[in-house]
Amino acid sequence: MMKIYPIIAAIGLLITVISVLKKSPFFNFIGLLTLIYGLLKSVGIITAPFPAQVMTMYMCMSVFSLFIYFSIQESTFDALLEPMRAVLADDNKRILRVLIVFIALPLFAGYLTFDKVKPNYEPPVSARIVHPEPVSSIEFRGKPITIIGLENPLRKDAPNMAKNLEAGKKIYYQNCFYCHGDDLDGRGHLALGFNPVPPPFRGTDTIAQLPESFVFWRIAKGWRGLPAGSTPWNSAMPSFEDFLTEDEIWQVTLFIYEATGNKPRS
Amino acid sequence: MKKILLTILLTVILCSAWYLTASADDSQGKKLYNGWCAQCHGYDGDAKSYTDKFSMPKPRDFTMGTYKFRSTPSGEPPTDSDITKIVRNGNPGTSMPPWTRFTDDEIKAIVAHVKTFAPDIFKDAGKPITIGTPPKASADLIKKGKELFNKAKCVECHGKEGRGNGEKGWQDNFKNDWGDPITPANYTHPWELRNGSNVEDIFRTISVGLGGTPMTSYIDSLKDEDRWALAVFIKSLQQERKLGVAIKIKKTAAIPTKVDDPAWDKVESMDLPMGGQLMFEPRDFTTLITNVRVRGLYTDKELAVMVEWSDKKPNNGSDGKPADAVWIQFPEKVSETVEKPYFFMGDKKHPVYLWSWKASDAGKVTEQLAKSYENVEDLQKHDVTVIAGYNDGLYRVVYKRALKTGSKDDFEVVPGKFVPFSIAAFDGQNDESGIKCAVSAWYYLMLEPATPLRVYVFPPLVALFVFFGGLSLSRSLKSKK
Repeated sequence: MMKIYPIIAAIGLLITVISVLKKSPFFNFIGLLTLIYGLLKSVGIITAPFPAQVMTMYMCMSVFSLFIYFSIQESTFDALLEPMRAVLADDNKRILRVLIVFIALPLFAGYLTFDKVKPNYEPPVSARIVHPEPVSSIEFRGKPITIIGLENPLRKDAPNMAKNLEAGKKIYYQNCFYCHGDDLDGRGHLALGFNPVPPPFRGTDTIAQLPESFVFWRIAKGWRGLPAGSTPWNSAMPSFEDFLTEDEIWQVTLFIYEATGNKPRS
Repeated sequence: MKKILLTILLTVILCSAWYLTASADDSQGKKLYNGWCAQCHGYDGDAKSYTDKFSMPKPRDFTMGTYKFRSTPSGEPPTDSDITKIVRNGNPGTSMPPWTRFTDDEIKAIVAHVKTFAPDIFKDAGKPITIGTPPKASADLIKKGKELFNKAKCVECHGKEGRGNGEKGWQDNFKNDWGDPITPANYTHPWELRNGSNVEDIFRTISVGLGGTPMTSYIDSLKDEDRWALAVFIKSLQQERKLGVAIKIKKTAAIPTKVDDPAWDKVESMDLPMGGQLMFEPRDFTTLITNVRVRGLYTDKELAVMVEWSDKKPNNGSDGKPADAVWIQFPEKVSETVEKPYFFMGDKKHPVYLWSWKASDAGKVTEQLAKSYENVEDLQKHDVTVIAGYNDGLYRVVYKRALKTGSKDDFEVVPGKFVPFSIAAFDGQNDESGIKCAVSAWYYLMLEPATPLRVYVFPPLVALFVFFGGLSLSRSLKSKK
């Protein structure tokens, strides 16, 4: 759908070029406006598209500026207005007049008004902070743990690495996989039931951008520890301190980094 | 002599090269299998694994060499491409996902390894049946398929409406070859048909059956065209899953008084995919209610919300199993602020109302106030009424309440305002009760207000205005000339 806008811009450019060659300010005006519209809308392909209100503002400014530009010389301005005058008044343009002035324009204005006055019921949208600011410390089953600067103690335990990874795998597939996915892609078989849908661990958007202490905090506290901006009331993430020990949380953390080929941010 | 020696030497080299590459393939397959399959299917392929108690249906045990999903006749092993297809596309409605991480070569290696768990079975390759092209669906063909559905006794297991609720499915010996109880497929949920939901998939399933299950092969007992008619009929039972975030409820003159009133079928509905209650013990990892359908109607005075879900075996509490149940949950204070109660049974600061219904007391609804799963209080009021029914594998529960109850501790339902709701559903057959249940996220319902007058007035006015503006402009320009 977005791909149509560069085409509109190209058509606008084409009209502009031809109208300059044919010396028709009216079509020059139309062409430039089409080009501007196409270009502004094409922005949406690369980055976030402009909101509708901003689009309306830009287009109004463009129309205004083009009018100023075309009215610098009186002859150009006359030539710009001439086709409009002709459609409105010339005897040989009757059919065009009926079609455009008496049918198309009133219908279009009616449609715009309908679009404006029709009731539009949209459910409230709640913005959600995906990576909340981590807390500095938590109480894990009554024991205080400082989160800032906390590292996974099992990473230093090289001799038991394989054992810890396998233990982490078992914990993952008994506690996490039905939401976060067999392939750690966030598409577990129960994932669709929840909103927000559980995040994937694969890829570079989630755990790859986080220190392991953050992951520990999220697993330990789950929905209960989320700040209001992260809509804890929607989250199905359990507080795993209810089900897992500290060591087990570190083991599963080890596993999800290893299995996705990600490294914790230090 | 030299020639013979040379031939022998060449053969030996070729054989050992083949052996070496073959075993190399196998070791790659084993590595991938152990990395990404063993968590469910077991390191020895016997499905004694990490997830065996956390998956429903259970992961496949490969050591028997029995495969449910094949393109080959009953008794023959599946082809490599049958197994490849399962790895690639997954089995909808189970915990087997589509594996996109593997290259074609990697899947080949995995398939080779999977076959080593039952080497005898795969000695002779299976030969797929011919599927051919499906006939065009028509009312006549569907009718013929429906007759066959009864005649070939499909109905005994799959039920009249194809919801998998047939009587026979609940006999004690209705088990798979691994000794686990098994249930017939529910055709109305095409998104969770394990073997695929295309008419070709259905035809294939009818033709070759599902290995290790009571679903036998019909290739010898039914002609090709009959199996196609059956497949087309079964396809026609599939329903579309309509997901969304809000259901708009339309105004009506009178709310139907029966749950199976055909008027309900014309009301727009929304499907809620259900998750398990995973947050508090006892948790529910293996829910059977995977989808709940919601729709509603309202009058000047009253709101009616229908909750509908498939249940293959109704339980009213009299058979030793817990009774089937459902509740719809609303925030105590329906406010426009984004902050909501916890989606499962609220929290201390934000309580929720529960309208609880149980099959053991089907004519009644209990109104409750919950401040968390541990803090639930029965309210001694009866503003909500309910009509409920179970028909052909489908539960329908219609809650009714006045828009404004008059009691001050009850929320008012105002047209145009979005009301958050969520649902929890219990399948007694699956031993669900208490807080072990299927849950939904928060959704919204909204009573659609009557179209305001301005919609009918302003657009024609503006159009007329523009018309006369153009007319007068044209006139004045003409007269100037």
